[in-house]
Amino acid sequence: MRIPIVKHLIAGGKRALGLHIPFRSLVILPDDIFLVSFPKSGNTWTRFLLANLRFPGEPVTWANIDRLIPDPMGTTKRDFDRMPRPRIIKSHECFDPRYPRVVYIVRDPRDVVVSQYHYHRKLKKIEDDSPIEKFVTRFLAGETCPHGSWGQNIATWLYTSEGNARFLLLRYEDLLADTARELAKVVTFLQLSASPEQIAQAVERSSADRMRKLEKEQPDRNTLMKGSRKDLSFVRAAGAGGWRSDLPAPQAARIEAAWGHLMQHLGYELSSQPLVEPREYASLPIPSGVPR
Amino acid sequence: MIKRLIAGGKQLLGLHYPGRNLRIFPDDVFLVSYPKSGNTWTRFLIANLVYPEKHPDFANINELIPDPEGISKRHLEQLPRPRYLKSHQYFDPRYPKIIHIVRDPRDVVLSEYYFDIKRRAIPDDFPLDKFVSRFVSGELNHPYGTWAENTATWFYTRGQSPRLLLVTYEALQSEGARQMAKIAEFIGVPADPARIAFALEQSSADRMRELEKKQGHLWSSTKQTRQDKPFVRSAKAGGWKNELSESSVAEIESAWGRLMREIGYELAVANAVSVGADRR
Repeated sequence: MRIPIVKHLIAGGKRALGLHIPFRSLVILPDDIFLVSFPKSGNTWTRFLLANLRFPGEPVTWANIDRLIPDPMGTTKRDFDRMPRPRIIKSHECFDPRYPRVVYIVRDPRDVVVSQYHYHRKLKKIEDDSPIEKFVTRFLAGETCPHGSWGQNIATWLYTSEGNARFLLLRYEDLLADTARELAKVVTFLQLSASPEQIAQAVERSSADRMRKLEKEQPDRNTLMKGSRKDLSFVRAAGAGGWRSDLPAPQAARIEAAWGHLMQHLGYELSSQPLVEPREYASLPIPSGVPR
Repeated sequence: MIKRLIAGGKQLLGLHYPGRNLRIFPDDVFLVSYPKSGNTWTRFLIANLVYPEKHPDFANINELIPDPEGISKRHLEQLPRPRYLKSHQYFDPRYPKIIHIVRDPRDVVLSEYYFDIKRRAIPDDFPLDKFVSRFVSGELNHPYGTWAENTATWFYTRGQSPRLLLVTYEALQSEGARQMAKIAEFIGVPADPARIAFALEQSSADRMRELEKKQGHLWSSTKQTRQDKPFVRSAKAGGWKNELSESSVAEIESAWGRLMREIGYELAVANAVSVGADRR
């Protein structure tokens, strides 16, 4: 009972005022919509897309996105309580049975690892010359973020979503290939109303170019990049398949060996024959809405 | 506002139940299961294996192997290390070491049915078929997801991980000594046959029934419940064969047959294939 008491006092006071970060004690409302993904899988882009669609009167920027589509790990309880309903909430969490409606974005793990590697450079968590092999080892073990490994995160959602009409799976790659079409799927799933023109406007306002431009103007206005290196940008390639040139073949093969079956089910072509066929993915159920 | 102030005050003193916000230590061991899957029995088994000198019973089991959802943060941080913690939670990537107890959902639903009668959640004459339908569709009296959701999140994430040990309730019943030796090895306690035999004997259904008679009114999980109904019920596997209707069995198997088969449970109804009908 020495210094912790001060921390406890602050935490207690914040809780009393609703200024604490709710994290996992977030009170979930029956009409909440969760935008879920493993980190570095297009979550921020999709947040921009959905926020621009939902709040056309207020073009989305790095300064207001945390208020429009907040993260329970980065926004106070009071701000959550003040949001218009239905709320759209960002999450990187593994399966949570309390989430009433889920839009899950999945991305090729070989691109995810490259993206996360560069993001960790930007956050000064690793040095520029840190070997990618080492990063892949930690990535496979689920040690590069607190949300499980890529395989665990996706497995907890896929294996619980069979026949679940309240779960929509989107691939980042499809979102890139035809953003308007994929966004229209989300609109239908969420029973929102949006004209093709409104969808086009949201796509336009969330383009990689616009997001890059805004990032230059507001480099410190978002929790995702506060205090990070300014010589590296958050919005990087915004593309698919970069791993083919950025990830050494043996590293891609390690990822495929670990999660090959899961990747194939999601439509990601393997560059190598998986070394081990993990038995536990033997009969992956495909949820409704999986792009084939 | 008053509620918030009380919550704030509790947080200040560390008296709140941390639940999923639990602070985890790298040497923690979690005893994970869906409710009514033999978790209490396994708590007794492990407590008797690790702390035989404490004479585990219903009066101290919550202290020896506590549930982070039922004990204060302050208390949790004062436990001897490594801590052994009970949990009904679905997958949590932070758990460092996990003993996952899985039980045949056809028996789980029966156990839950009788427990819900004991705790007055349903009347004595509540139709079992209707209870099974609720169980399958996820209308539950707890926040841990359906049996399949909860089980799948652990089962399909385990990979080849040496951090998770899967033990079925049925194997614990039929070959207790062997499963206990595996558990002992997993948690790094000497797998001495005499010590294991002692733990099994101290945790037998008969002994637990006897303890429940004396202490049932003291233990958090039973003290507010009907005392004319036991918590330690049949303590057997396969009761569903006599008690569940054929249509109830078919309902469970058609919803979760795939996962049941992958765990190793034989299906009773032919062609009860997971059809993936909308269950929500």
